[in-house]
Amino acid sequence: MTSSIILRDVSLDLPIYDVKGQSLKKRVMRMGRRNRIAEDNEGVVVVRAIDGLNLSLKSGDRLGLIGHNGAGKSTLLRVLAGIYPPTSGTVEVVGKAVPLLDISLGMDDQSTGRQNIRLRGLLLGMTNAEIKAKTEEIAEFTGLGDYLDLPLRTYSSGMRVRLAFAISTAVDADILLLDEVLGVGDASFQEKAAKRLEELHQRAEIVVLAIHSSDTIRKTCNKVLWMERGKVRMFGPVEEVVTTYDRIMNPPAKRQSFRKLVAEKRSARPRWSPSDNSRFGSR
Amino acid sequence: MTAFFVGISDFLESMRAWRLWTLMGWVEIRQRYARSKLGPFWLTISMGVMATTLGLLYGVLFGQNLSTYLPMISIGIVMWGLFSGIVNDGCAAFMAGAGYIKQIRSPKYLFILQVTWRNGVIWAHNFIIVLIVLVIFGVKSWVSIWLFIPGVILFLLNAMWIASFVGVVAARFRDFPQIVGSMLQVAFYVSPILFHGEMLSKDHKWVIEYNPLAYLIDIVRQPLLGQFPTPLTWVIAVVMALLGWSLALIFTGKYAKRVPYWV
Repeated sequence: MTSSIILRDVSLDLPIYDVKGQSLKKRVMRMGRRNRIAEDNEGVVVVRAIDGLNLSLKSGDRLGLIGHNGAGKSTLLRVLAGIYPPTSGTVEVVGKAVPLLDISLGMDDQSTGRQNIRLRGLLLGMTNAEIKAKTEEIAEFTGLGDYLDLPLRTYSSGMRVRLAFAISTAVDADILLLDEVLGVGDASFQEKAAKRLEELHQRAEIVVLAIHSSDTIRKTCNKVLWMERGKVRMFGPVEEVVTTYDRIMNPPAKRQSFRKLVAEKRSARPRWSPSDNSRFGSR
Repeated sequence: MTAFFVGISDFLESMRAWRLWTLMGWVEIRQRYARSKLGPFWLTISMGVMATTLGLLYGVLFGQNLSTYLPMISIGIVMWGLFSGIVNDGCAAFMAGAGYIKQIRSPKYLFILQVTWRNGVIWAHNFIIVLIVLVIFGVKSWVSIWLFIPGVILFLLNAMWIASFVGVVAARFRDFPQIVGSMLQVAFYVSPILFHGEMLSKDHKWVIEYNPLAYLIDIVRQPLLGQFPTPLTWVIAVVMALLGWSLALIFTGKYAKRVPYWV
């Protein structure tokens, strides 16, 4: 089976409902202040998170997504995962796409480690047989031993991360959608984790990775999509895009030194110290 | 029409994930009653106390025969608990599942089924009250009692389509759960749970004749009380289920894809 992803002219509007938009009470309250009605009548702000995006990936592709925070990387992952249907355009995804956006999704404090393996496995779309077959392997990888029979609330945060990581990375996906690096606890575990992540990537036909580190992208990806305000700023082979990105976004020259200068000036400025407050006389 | 098929396929996909929603339902019950010795039986106890108190009080006040009034009121309260539980929790179904909805692609009926399952489990605990009543006051008819099974299926089907409706609306309009909550409270008092049709004078029969909930209650209560629901009762319950489900499937088919944006 060959997986593929084809996006044609995809746009996505994210409605932002603040409290105004979602509560009748606020609407009624506002009626008291007549003059304001005209200003904020609607209360629903629409953000164009993805704007006319075209993209085509085939089996074997490893795509890195880069761009500012809020450039639309996570939203794009959600579109590929089928979570957000696009406002316009078409999305064709062939193959089982598994998003690993938040590794601790659906972990339940009252359930034991093993029960959590089952719960999270089902959430990731594993079948019952798959979960049964993988439970032992997951249990072994976590290295938690008998702790797996205790409820999750007794775990340290490091243990939780281990378990969450082990379950999430046990999934078999044709298309793997990852948001940032899956963070993992202590150093001894990190090596094991890196290897497992590698294996996970290898099992998938297509990997899409939203990430900030240029090093990881150089290591794992063969294509890079640079997003800016929901649009494609640049798309192409890794070296070309990442170099341009680094040059424009992190210029080593003038601007940075100017920023530094400002920062220094600021820190040199006298600040209010607690003793200064006495001059306003609370006593 | 396409919305209808979208709704159907969403529902079927949700059904296929039965392992997930039953487990999620259990997890929620476990969370709610963590480390409590009696767990959901606390609800059973409070419901039992309420049914007995109301039964004795109103039974005496209205001059009712306690051996018929007490079973009626306790079965009514237990069944109403199931209905209002599903509809009330249905309002919060998508909000409670927001974490899942935003992180993985999920069919939306999954969350309605989860709510139904959870309330079904709690109801199974409460059903002990009905069993106790049947033991104390005796089973009036072993023939009619079998009709309880189709009755309760129809009852559940009707509660579920309502839940899927209010769930989608509540995801968009956050005041809606409060409105549903107070409507359910009103419905409790105007529906024949604390009273029954024969207690009403002829001029007031319309109170239950025009109340669809009255038929839904009859369909599950009468079989347990040794009575046979009238053909009209069955017809109304079936038509409500069919009509309600068709509309709910079209509605969710149309709006379910917007849910991830709302929660």
